[in-house]
Amino acid sequence: MKEKLLEILKDLRAEVEFEKETKLIDDGILDSFDIVTLVAELNAEFDIEINVMDLEPDNFNTVNAMLELIEKLQEEG
Amino acid sequence: MDFISVSFLIFVIILVCAYFLMPDKYKWAVLLVGSYVFYGFSGIKLVVFLVFTTGVTFFSGLLLGNINEDSARHLKLHKADLTREEKKEYKNKVSSRKKRVVACAVVVNLGILIFLKYFNFIAKNINLVLVKVGFAGNIPLLKLLLPLGISFYTLQSIAYIVDLYRGKYKPDRNFFKFSLFMVYFPQIIQGPIARYDQLAHQLYVPHKFEYTRVTQGMQLILWGYMKKLILADRIAIPVNFIFDNPAPHEGFVLFLAAAGYGLQVYADFSGGMDIARGVSQILGIELVLNFERPYFAGSISEFWRRWHITLGSWMRDYVFYPLSLSKAFATLGKRTRKVFGNYIGKKLPTFLSMFIVFLLVGVWHGSSWKYVAYGLWNGIIIVSSILLEPVYEKIIEKLKINTECFSWRFFQMARTFILCSFGRFFSRGKTCLTAIDMFKRALAYPNPWVFFNGTFLNLGLSYKDYYVIFISILVFLVVGIMQEKGIHIREKIAEQNLYFRWMIYIGAVVAVLIYGSYGSGYSASEFIYQQF
Repeated sequence: MKEKLLEILKDLRAEVEFEKETKLIDDGILDSFDIVTLVAELNAEFDIEINVMDLEPDNFNTVNAMLELIEKLQEEG
Repeated sequence: MDFISVSFLIFVIILVCAYFLMPDKYKWAVLLVGSYVFYGFSGIKLVVFLVFTTGVTFFSGLLLGNINEDSARHLKLHKADLTREEKKEYKNKVSSRKKRVVACAVVVNLGILIFLKYFNFIAKNINLVLVKVGFAGNIPLLKLLLPLGISFYTLQSIAYIVDLYRGKYKPDRNFFKFSLFMVYFPQIIQGPIARYDQLAHQLYVPHKFEYTRVTQGMQLILWGYMKKLILADRIAIPVNFIFDNPAPHEGFVLFLAAAGYGLQVYADFSGGMDIARGVSQILGIELVLNFERPYFAGSISEFWRRWHITLGSWMRDYVFYPLSLSKAFATLGKRTRKVFGNYIGKKLPTFLSMFIVFLLVGVWHGSSWKYVAYGLWNGIIIVSSILLEPVYEKIIEKLKINTECFSWRFFQMARTFILCSFGRFFSRGKTCLTAIDMFKRALAYPNPWVFFNGTFLNLGLSYKDYYVIFISILVFLVVGIMQEKGIHIREKIAEQNLYFRWMIYIGAVVAVLIYGSYGSGYSASEFIYQQF
């Protein structure tokens, strides 16, 4: 799952070293355009439904936080 | 009561004394009474609108909070005996109940704003259309008064309601404390548009008097007055001169009027924010940042992330995200993918949401077609810059441009400044048509000789005034660069010895008193965003 996520992120912003970043949202590395594109990709790839309530910086600041969100949503079905 | 008035300074001194002298338990009540007194000065009749919006927001918040708590209890109680489908069905039911509450509250609160701010504009345009198609077109225009800060507190109330719908926090159960959140005086006139979880708690808990914090707050207030009185109100003189009668001017004069207006608005609005933040800081309350040196932005989208940040983040959280992630927009994306291919299909819902956001940002500023054009101008630039990004990248690669050096960043900043300045024709021009005409004439008649033939000395300012403007911009630029580099200037000043510190303070006060641009009868002009 992590590899697939990193692949999606790389497609989105090739120049960012995602695994090293800890404040992707707080530091403005990913903007709202990126987030909307990313959410659409994640929903399609992992068969989940990320909604507006999930769009908190804490859920997107790091790769691990994104993975946790995906796992949580997959469990909730 | 205006921030730029002796009565405001006296009011703040009395309020601060009362706040720190009052027992902890009642400190918040001092703020509540003080804030209503402050707001009451804008017209006692208009207080009714604020109290009504506060009431609607508070009680719908309670309702949403109760629904949230009941559903959480129900799900916990029946955790074992509900199937996944049953849980989903129950959640959907709860969600539609909450949606009804949100819809009612938003319609009422937003309805008041739309009616008071846009009724005449809508009526006028309907009348025009009716006349064109052969009807009488006599919808009467009304004499409507706009309550101070309505565009700000309405957005604040909607954010609170939607956050409760989303279950972000629990509702406030004390009407009077909640009223303080809605009316808190430093921010009611022109923001920042605060979120409940950022501000409310700070208002309710008592704060002790802290010397360092109080002096830092006073420095920030002084800085705000410098921006407003020395720079904004001085630049306003030639800007108003040109925009009030643009016909005799062309080329660079028009462009500089628009660019000057951009600087004026920045100094005016961010100066007002500094005063609001400074007063709050004295009381121990941290207001969120509304500006982060927007003229250091390298693109229009970055500019909007640094300019009026709380309006931008409000639009992002309550319009852009919900729209672009909605089912309707997802379906639209799928359909357009079939027709226009993957790339456009993916981007279209986002672009459409962005256009809607900028249209709303535009009309939020006022009821006029020029604000619609202002929103469109920004939306078009942002969307086209994203669409053309691959082309730009190719050009940069072909021309072997180094994008990691200062000159490139400077180019980006200059480009953003010019684009922003052209947008200002729409936000400041008298009408949309005047703005378009000024825009065209600024481009069509390049006249660099106006810099040397004394043209600028016929616009209401003397040589001395231009020197003051130049030095002020230089000071703000240096301060901006230091802040960009993460240097905390007020902390640096605090580290200096007593004599040097007081030299700076007295120098700043003297500068405001001597170089402050005071209008006729020594009454400074009101803040631009106060009118919105």
